[in-house]
Amino acid sequence: MSARGPAIRVHDVVKVYRRLGRRPHGTLKSALLPGRVRGARTTPVAALDGVSFEAAAGESLGIIGANGSGKSTLLKLLAGILRPTRGTVSVSGRLAALLELGAGFHPEISGRENVEIAGLLLGLSRREIARRFAEIVRFAGIEDFLDEPVKTYSSGMAVRLGFSIAAHSDPDILLVDEVLAVGDEAFAHRALERFAELERDGRTLVFVSHDLPLIAERCRRAIWLDRGRVAADGPAAEIVARYRDHVAAGEGERRLGAGPGGDRVGSGVAFISAVQLLDADGRPAGRLRAGEPAALEMTVHAAEPLTDFVFGFRLVTVAGNVVFGVNTSLEGLRPARFAGAARVTLSLPSLDLAPGVYSLDAAIHARDGAPYDYRRDVLRFEVTSEVAAAGVWSPRRTWEFEGDVEWQEGTGSTRRT
Amino acid sequence: MLLPLAPYARLAANRALVRALASRELVARYRGGALGFLWALINPLLLLLVYATVFRFVFAPRADVKPYSLFLFGGVLAWAFVSGALQDAAETFRSNGPLLRKTTVAPEVFPAAAVLARLIHLLLALAVLAAAIAVAAARGSVSPGPAALEFPLVLALLAATVLGLALAVGTLSVHFADVRDIVGNLLTLAFFVTPILYPVAAVPERWRPLLRLNPFATFFSAIQNTLFFFRPVTAADWLWMSGTTLVALLGGGAVYELLRDSLAEQA
Repeated sequence: MSARGPAIRVHDVVKVYRRLGRRPHGTLKSALLPGRVRGARTTPVAALDGVSFEAAAGESLGIIGANGSGKSTLLKLLAGILRPTRGTVSVSGRLAALLELGAGFHPEISGRENVEIAGLLLGLSRREIARRFAEIVRFAGIEDFLDEPVKTYSSGMAVRLGFSIAAHSDPDILLVDEVLAVGDEAFAHRALERFAELERDGRTLVFVSHDLPLIAERCRRAIWLDRGRVAADGPAAEIVARYRDHVAAGEGERRLGAGPGGDRVGSGVAFISAVQLLDADGRPAGRLRAGEPAALEMTVHAAEPLTDFVFGFRLVTVAGNVVFGVNTSLEGLRPARFAGAARVTLSLPSLDLAPGVYSLDAAIHARDGAPYDYRRDVLRFEVTSEVAAAGVWSPRRTWEFEGDVEWQEGTGSTRRT
Repeated sequence: MLLPLAPYARLAANRALVRALASRELVARYRGGALGFLWALINPLLLLLVYATVFRFVFAPRADVKPYSLFLFGGVLAWAFVSGALQDAAETFRSNGPLLRKTTVAPEVFPAAAVLARLIHLLLALAVLAAAIAVAAARGSVSPGPAALEFPLVLALLAATVLGLALAVGTLSVHFADVRDIVGNLLTLAFFVTPILYPVAAVPERWRPLLRLNPFATFFSAIQNTLFFFRPVTAADWLWMSGTTLVALLGGGAVYELLRDSLAEQA
């Protein structure tokens, strides 16, 4: 555990996700048939692209970056769950990974039995588990429920137990993925204390988290991953600050996020060349505030003059639920003529959507529905709000309270109009 | 090249975990019921009673093996082990997907635990079989002999064969969804071309060499010999079973080892 070379060494690591079959679970046929069928949709995606770094024993390292930047892939490579496509990953010493607290708990068997299995899964021997058992249980605070099946535990209890087992597995290297986001304040505090203890003992800690203050405080060093590459590597506070600046700059000028837009069908007699979301000032935006005016705009072209055409938009949640769909035919507009290029704008005086990410489909088609150009998921945008709301609709609203109901001074949303 | 043996070396190192996973399966399965673990004994007992009743009052038993229900019982129990273990193995990586993706565990422990859990079931059921043999012997319908002592070795070879096949089946079904169904159908077919419902002697002489092509046939013939006819296993049968076991272990180990790296991504 003393300084004898790096605890972690990652050299020029590339990780490409590829699938054997065409679909997530390929069929034998797709694997046995040569070329055409098999290669059709295997677009390799490089989750990590030439990542190198070393971490000394006793170092605490934070890994930050946007979703999809490769953080979790990196952690899984360090854990040995995945293998690099190219490059080398070497770790020295016993490694424990806290990728999901309570992974592997079986609901039907008792906490006691689960501790044993989880310990074995972490690479402890039966004897080591027995020796630490009391401490694990005490730390998790589940003494009274030890012989109850885990399905009777609250999620907080299960998480505490999962954490406690891993934190007491005496690892030389501990990998932690976003696990402190769960559990209550008091437990998070104890968990942090335990991390500090481990660090004092010269263990190496690697955190992946979106909790930037946590990384800045807890880690000495941070690595910022951006689309599979190391964007910056240095003192945690400094890297976190740079990452924050980058994110803030990106938010302001982010153009409408082009969706994957993979699905596109139609005869092409007419086609959509651009789709934009406009904010209150008529500027393209990828992020809008709930309740403000917005407009959807598409630029369309007719390859030949048309007398049968319908323009439409459809708004979908990322989970696939339709929020609303409108088109010129439903509005009662009867087509007469469309030739050349045109700009079609649907204005919404108030975007009454709950905060979240939405996906837009745009289409031009014949009145009988035959598509000229139907573009699914052509753009994605985010609706933000100071007030959280469940669902998709966030209408203008007021609350009224009659009777003996009081609220603390100065609390409540600005939208309580 | 020792590559195909590597998973077995790791299994030996992880044997405590394999045992714990297998016993977790059993404990979770039987916990809660009023009779709990007794079901592992009651189930085979009821099966035997059903056979005894059916072949007394409904169907005519085979005349060449008496008592037929006892003859059938041993084979069916052993087959339940083979077919159960292989079908569980086809599911095991998928059902343990979260663990594969979230922990550093060596994946081969899951099919091994599935095989072990089924083996434990079989061993419990064999206690019922032993009692049934004792009753039959007391009534003079069978006369047990020392050949029965060879059975544990037959079972050990069979279990090792199933382990090798389980590694291959488990690995392949992660990559190819069809494997699960193919295995299910092959097992149904194999049940009828394996000497379970009938003794090997009932197979015409000229077809017997073909029977060897079924990897399970020799094992089940040896099970009938040791547990029903109480005849020693022939040297040729020992050789054939050992060879089958070796091929299954090496083949299964090789398939697993070649595709292991992608299990966590695909499962």
